[in-house]
Amino acid sequence: MPSINHESWSKRLSRELSAAWAIARKDMRIYYLKPNIIVSGILFPLFMFLAFAIGKNAPPGTLIPGLISITLLFSASSIEPVSIPIERRVKTFDRLLSAPISLYSLVSGESLSGFLYSLGIACLPLAIGIVVFSTPIVNAPVLVVAMILTAFCFATLGTLFAAYPTENVGEVMSMLNTVRLPLIFISGVFIPISTMPEIGQEIALISPLTYGNDMIEYAYTGRSLFSPLLDIVVQVVFILVFQITANYLYKKFNE
Amino acid sequence: MQAIEVSHLIKKFGSLTALNDINFSVDEGETFGFLGPNGAGKTTTIRILTGISRPTSGTATIFGHDIEHDTIAARQSMGIVSENSNVYDDLTAWQNMIFSAELYHVGRNEREKKTTELLKIFGLYERCNDKVHGFSKGMKRRLTLAMGLVNSPRLLFLDEPTSGLDVQSNLIIRDVVTDLVREGVTVFLTTHNIEEANIMCDRVAIINKGNIAAIDAPESLKKTIQSVQSIEVSFDRSSADQLDELRRLPMVNDAQKAGDKFKLYTEDPSEVIDAVMAYAHTHNLKVMSITTLGPSLEDVFIRLTGLQRKGGAVHAID
Repeated sequence: MPSINHESWSKRLSRELSAAWAIARKDMRIYYLKPNIIVSGILFPLFMFLAFAIGKNAPPGTLIPGLISITLLFSASSIEPVSIPIERRVKTFDRLLSAPISLYSLVSGESLSGFLYSLGIACLPLAIGIVVFSTPIVNAPVLVVAMILTAFCFATLGTLFAAYPTENVGEVMSMLNTVRLPLIFISGVFIPISTMPEIGQEIALISPLTYGNDMIEYAYTGRSLFSPLLDIVVQVVFILVFQITANYLYKKFNE
Repeated sequence: MQAIEVSHLIKKFGSLTALNDINFSVDEGETFGFLGPNGAGKTTTIRILTGISRPTSGTATIFGHDIEHDTIAARQSMGIVSENSNVYDDLTAWQNMIFSAELYHVGRNEREKKTTELLKIFGLYERCNDKVHGFSKGMKRRLTLAMGLVNSPRLLFLDEPTSGLDVQSNLIIRDVVTDLVREGVTVFLTTHNIEEANIMCDRVAIINKGNIAAIDAPESLKKTIQSVQSIEVSFDRSSADQLDELRRLPMVNDAQKAGDKFKLYTEDPSEVIDAVMAYAHTHNLKVMSITTLGPSLEDVFIRLTGLQRKGGAVHAID
């Protein structure tokens, strides 16, 4: 049998990508319509948004960027914290861990399903903004890039939290929510960062949602706190940090 | 080439030593049984051999590929059938098979051909488009085995393959494994069914408390404890006191009741036969059958693992 070591890198990469895609497709088939995913990925951000938006006097159309941001945050990070503990419990996760694929492919495949789910769900507020409120989009390409990066960033965050070695979905969700919920208050989604106290502004800098929301705001209004380029760079850094940390933790917790 | 080569493998979890410097090798084409009581280190060994866990020290190679440093190449040649039927209940049998094939990089045409072939062999083709959550335990087990074979492995890890299964599934699985062995596939079998290991394995290793207690062919292992022989006897009538009375016969070390038979352990079968006949005569009993038995693999297992027989069942001393 020919050794994998002697394979060309392109062939190896192609194998790894197709395995990651197979994992993502498996998750789509199994988990996208699970009730707890729908609750935490769709209903939860919607109700959170309504709770804050109703009290505001702003025209509804201007709230669309914020709704897109929190939809991306919640939906992208909801798939893996549900699917991975379930798969640990029924031992199908061992099937993935023992397959001839790298841990990076496994982690990427898991994140990919959250990413695609999130993009699909985020199209809903986007469509509502266009069709119902005629909310203008100033820079569509920036919006597309912002949605892609934000969705992938939070999908990897979900995969990172799901590395915690438990078979209990609630345990992962509780830990994740202690991070997700504060993020929506410190990232400029409901309260503009410029109006926050100094300490709040400093904390906002360490939130990945700050940069995704900033880009989405830019795409809709042409105004932003940082340049879109900086937002992109910071989000890429967050994605890499989450991905590498997730990879390390999956390896460590399985030793 | 050795299918598996394990050298000075140690695995520690904090202060607990799960594997204590174990060494063994499995030849290509061999059926190798791995027996041990719960907590002996079987699962830890399999998790290391399949690259899920990392050893604290020592090495394990699969067809020459180091499982720790050349993991993907080592895994490519193996099929894994875990103790739990770890199939995706929300996918159909077909989707489960295809997913498994994709993970093992089986080409598109080959994966559909192989899936059809295996589902037919395992009697699941008619249900291939049904979601697995409606399958019986036996069907899920057969699907798990089919998924483990989708990449045509050279080495198959079989963890408790027939535990608690219906007769049909049991027969199908044993037939398939027999065919695989005939085709030269190496089988690494862990089982609690010692008779299964006795029948199927070329060699068995008995692991206890993280140490390999013995490795040999089943018949060779039995020879090492020839002192554990037994007489199996049944009478035309039985009474509540019979077991205790038989246990008190001269030269009987232990006695068990199994159905309508008594099994008397001894180092001197001919002496015990005389004593049994005398006992039958005294109690006006008719001997329906009497057989001398050599030590079974179970006896070897019990002797080497320090377990104890109690009321016909086997109990851990600790």
